[in-house]
Amino acid sequence: MKALAQVVATLSHVPGVVAAMVVGATDGLIVETSPIIGGAGGVTDPRKHTAALAAYLYSKVTRASDAARLGTPAFMRLEAERGHIFVVGARDVVLVTIVTTDANLGRVRLEMMNAARENS
Amino acid sequence: MSDPTVAEGWVAAPLTRLKDDARLISGVLLYPSGRAVGQFGFSNAADVMSICALTSAINASARELGRQLDGKPFYEMHHAGAERQVFMARASAGAQEFLFVGVFDRESSFGVVEIYFAEFQKALERLHPEKQATGVGPSGDFEGELNRSLDALFGPIGKR
Repeated sequence: MKALAQVVATLSHVPGVVAAMVVGATDGLIVETSPIIGGAGGVTDPRKHTAALAAYLYSKVTRASDAARLGTPAFMRLEAERGHIFVVGARDVVLVTIVTTDANLGRVRLEMMNAARENS
Repeated sequence: MSDPTVAEGWVAAPLTRLKDDARLISGVLLYPSGRAVGQFGFSNAADVMSICALTSAINASARELGRQLDGKPFYEMHHAGAERQVFMARASAGAQEFLFVGVFDRESSFGVVEIYFAEFQKALERLHPEKQATGVGPSGDFEGELNRSLDALFGPIGKR
């Protein structure tokens, strides 16, 4: 299994990724995280909130997907005004990235899917 | 889910918000002395009475344990059971200290409860009346304080 620190480091080096995190799927706590790229000093760190809520949202999406008889969700993308949140499940953890609007979304997705596959 | 019942009106809104946002099943806000300030999810005063007494004792033990092991008190506790989980933490508003204990299940998560508890803590800080409530410190009359607070939450015995 690829070390979680390495997963986070790889994802955080993809252009447009503001922060990459490995988060406990059931408790929503951060297991491993990258620093926030371009994070301004003094501004509240969004990682803890994002991690907890993204993991929570992913668990709900999984239930919705189950209810619709679609199986396990492969990838979750939340599009917001100033960027995106990507979430991929990998056994007991979820990979979460905060991504800028101008990022290469396809590449971020690919890297996250690869990381999830290697950790499954 | 029932709305909170409170002994002090100013805690009603923050408690309601915490219950809804963190998707808690039940919860009690109390003074470290064991006196209940507000609760939700309970219909029986005896349950709240037990929880207040136990939370007060656990808090005192955890603080001392933290001092012994880590040189500083433990202020937060989480126990994950098979179906339900318990979150216990200290909150403060001005100089006044409170304890909160909440129960949640798979509809929530520890991370979610933690972040909304942090918001709850800020709300308490913001809304706490300038004038300190009287008699909030330990008076030595633990049982009397507890019973008075339960009367405020559930009505006097005989009318509950």
